[in-house]
Amino acid sequence: MLIRKPSVLVFLASLALITIVATVLAQAGLVSTSFVKLLGKTLCLCIAALAMDLVWGYTGILSLGHFAFFGMGGYAIGMWLMWDRTETIVTGTLAQSPLPPTPLEIEEAIGTQIFGVVGSSDVPWLWAFAGSLPLQLAFAVLVPGLIALVFGWLAFRSRVTGVYLSILTQAGTLALSLWLFQNDSGLRGNNGLSGLQNIPGLESVSQAVLSLWFLWASAAALAGAYLLAQWTVSGRFGSVLRGIRDDEARVRFLGYEVEHYKLAVFTVTAMLCGLAGALYYPQAGIVNPAEIAPIASIYLAVWVAIGGRGRLYGAVIGAAVVSLASSWFTGGGAPDINLGFYVIKWTDWWLVLLGLSFVLVTLYAPKGLGGLVDLWTGRRSRNVGPMGPDVGALRSKEEQA
Amino acid sequence: MSALLEVSGVSKTFDGFKAINNLSFSVNEPELRAIIGPNGAGKTTFMDLVTGKTRPDSGEIRYGELSRDLTKLSEARIAQAGIGRKFQKPTVFEDQTVSENLTMALKATRNPVTVLTKRPDESDRVADLAARVGLSDTLEQRAGILSHGQKQWLEIGMLLAQEPRLLLVDEPAAGMTSAERERTTAMLVEAAKTRAVVVIEHDMEFVRRLNCRVTVLHEGSVLAEGSLDHVCADPRVIDVYLGRPEEAADA
Repeated sequence: MLIRKPSVLVFLASLALITIVATVLAQAGLVSTSFVKLLGKTLCLCIAALAMDLVWGYTGILSLGHFAFFGMGGYAIGMWLMWDRTETIVTGTLAQSPLPPTPLEIEEAIGTQIFGVVGSSDVPWLWAFAGSLPLQLAFAVLVPGLIALVFGWLAFRSRVTGVYLSILTQAGTLALSLWLFQNDSGLRGNNGLSGLQNIPGLESVSQAVLSLWFLWASAAALAGAYLLAQWTVSGRFGSVLRGIRDDEARVRFLGYEVEHYKLAVFTVTAMLCGLAGALYYPQAGIVNPAEIAPIASIYLAVWVAIGGRGRLYGAVIGAAVVSLASSWFTGGGAPDINLGFYVIKWTDWWLVLLGLSFVLVTLYAPKGLGGLVDLWTGRRSRNVGPMGPDVGALRSKEEQA
Repeated sequence: MSALLEVSGVSKTFDGFKAINNLSFSVNEPELRAIIGPNGAGKTTFMDLVTGKTRPDSGEIRYGELSRDLTKLSEARIAQAGIGRKFQKPTVFEDQTVSENLTMALKATRNPVTVLTKRPDESDRVADLAARVGLSDTLEQRAGILSHGQKQWLEIGMLLAQEPRLLLVDEPAAGMTSAERERTTAMLVEAAKTRAVVVIEHDMEFVRRLNCRVTVLHEGSVLAEGSLDHVCADPRVIDVYLGRPEEAADA
């Protein structure tokens, strides 16, 4: 039933096409490994944008903390990646000593290796299960989910809404990143976790091949997330979500426990972000507290706004276009513009351009880039945005006339 | 006939202003009841108290066979218990289609997990409701482009979909043409045959057509109760309400 929806079909087909073309070009050596990684990372960011669209575009909760959940997923998987790789190296070294090492010695050696950079050799309690891939994978999803559940329960139950909720989420995100910046947080302070591109057990596989595997995994995850999101926003559940966004009190008088719906969406989207982060950071190679800073979550909101909130493909388009453009402009891809008296360096001016496009989209194209699709399909009956009801009634009469 | 809603000794103060002052009265099932009163008499506050939008400072509001105290329940639970409310100005979800609006209101489980996973085909019930409120042709239209009167009807359809035992209607005749008023009167009288319907209304002509028991509120408590002719003859009512024709004309 979901598959029959044209937008879902077009989306899945485009995603498959992009993945296949990228794979073929990579095999032929026409695109670099770093480009394949960039593409895979972008797909993960699209998953986070989908989650943001569900929570903000559909339910009206402007969370400025969803990228923190993304980062948590990265940290959870990064802990295993670092631990397992260090363990291999350390046991290799210790094996050369005359006496076989005790488990305690191994742990101490791993601790020194990983935490030497922050002047410590003790293994913090956070790392208790770092040696287990299944557990760390579960944490990548469950920790964001649990934090979102507790935070959401407290906030929604007290009926904190609108800008106040946004500020609360932002404060929580800031607190988390400040804590992570500390050397004694147990997560290597501002060094973050690094070397994540080396996957234990797959040392013999080249990065070129690994990057393709991650691209496929990211594409599959995005496809799954899209179907899940589409399923969520369709039917009565989706109606209730959009109802909460537009008139929360009215939904209550229809007998729906608004708080339960908000909590469900907030928690599930946090878990989705955690999953996306767990796929993203092995491709990025490093996760550090700067990734979790509030600005990252604001970017997420900007992507969704530019792409067009309240429609799923809009969020994906926004995340893909803006993050790829950002890489192009800040990566030195865009040529400088020489005005004679001043040279516009895009590395400096990209943020200005982004800010300007955000303002322009908000003012003149509230439907975002996704709205362009309407021009194409001629769809105009739904999501007409801020147009007043009476104006709408008038227009529909004019259309009939 | 038994009391479905029993309000006893309820008071509510907003910043020192006594909106509801030791209010007591009851509504039976089935019954059609009109509540009239000058501006600021506490009519809308009364509705807010019953539906859980505001909490009283004192007193209790008992509902149903179990005599549940509504002042302890959330808005959603009160609505689930069978109390429906129609607002003064039509409040429908303008971004969604008529059919989506009606589907959301249909009496069915409100549990998020069940709503997400179980998706029965309700198109027959929705089509039936749309026919009852004359919106069959607009099922797939966005509610935002409906006319004012059509929105009123959509909201009434949503109320019917909830199948409430107690229906609270705030100024249903406001902004309606006389033909629409007649239909609304008929609908309310019909609905009141099987359930309790409480209508708040300024328009005396409309109340007369409802031909039901009338409660007059004044300064947050009941001033008089009985048939319209009976309360209209009450000197106190004439004094505070009917005696000032310029105000009656305003309303």
